[in-house]
Amino acid sequence: MKNIHGESFEILLEEESSTVLFKGALRLCGTEDYAPILNLLKETLSNSAMPIVLDLRQLEFLNSSGITMLSRFVIEARDHAGIEIQMLASEAVPWHARTLKNLQRLMPSLSIRLI
Amino acid sequence: MTISKTLSDCDERTREREYLTLAFSPSSAPLRSRWRNNGLSADFLGDYVTTFLPTKDGVPAFEERQKELRHAVTYIANELLENAMKYHQPDVEIPIKIHLELASDQVTVSVSNGVSVVQAGRYKAFVEHLQEGDAGDLLLKQQEENARASESTASSLGLLTMVSDYDARLNWRFDVHPTQSESMTVTTSAVLSLRNAPGASA
Repeated sequence: MKNIHGESFEILLEEESSTVLFKGALRLCGTEDYAPILNLLKETLSNSAMPIVLDLRQLEFLNSSGITMLSRFVIEARDHAGIEIQMLASEAVPWHARTLKNLQRLMPSLSIRLI
Repeated sequence: MTISKTLSDCDERTREREYLTLAFSPSSAPLRSRWRNNGLSADFLGDYVTTFLPTKDGVPAFEERQKELRHAVTYIANELLENAMKYHQPDVEIPIKIHLELASDQVTVSVSNGVSVVQAGRYKAFVEHLQEGDAGDLLLKQQEENARASESTASSLGLLTMVSDYDARLNWRFDVHPTQSESMTVTTSAVLSLRNAPGASA
């Protein structure tokens, strides 16, 4: 298990299940500050045997630099053969449905489970 | 840091409206230590606006709409403040201001900051580009470009998401600085319509 955390957020990578869990509010200042999180996400791309799960259900806020970070990851994953991504989102969090749908336009095979 | 908060009907224009302004002196703290304040201010504005769109117990549509509006105001305020903090020209002698205004049919969030004439020209060109196309398509294109590009183009994604994901209407105003002729003030406004919002009563 690896984790990155800050004052308002926590991100956990469970390597065995290729699952990344996001919690809290992510409002970091641009590409450079998001680089460690993007690198953590990219670690999942080395194992294409199982679907990558991004569990965003407890991510209440993501600024546009964070959206850019997720779109960078999705674009990179799209270019890897055999990678499947599933995003777990929450109906109770207002931004999830609309914003995540834009990521699906980048990678049509991306599956979003709105729970 | 200077924070001024105004909650009164000071002038003709706003007599029938509720409004609130926060002002920041950008030179008083470095960007990194100020960053946290963007989120605090944005959360405050999001919470503040919910007073004017009350919930009704047992009516899910009211609660849902209030939650959506709170989030929309928080997101938009945070993005506008982040952009202003990043692009404010430190030698332009004006504070960065965020202004929230409530009317019966809409909520407006405006942020102003100082820029050089050259920066203003670049921003105007971007505004024209934004007004020409469909925000959803431009957003998709921008995300593809950002995947390969540097920080410099990233801020436009914030504006595109306001239009595409929150149905905000954007307006801009460029004013020449009263004493510094090489400088300008840029005001970016995002308007959220409250039409069809159950319980709107600002």
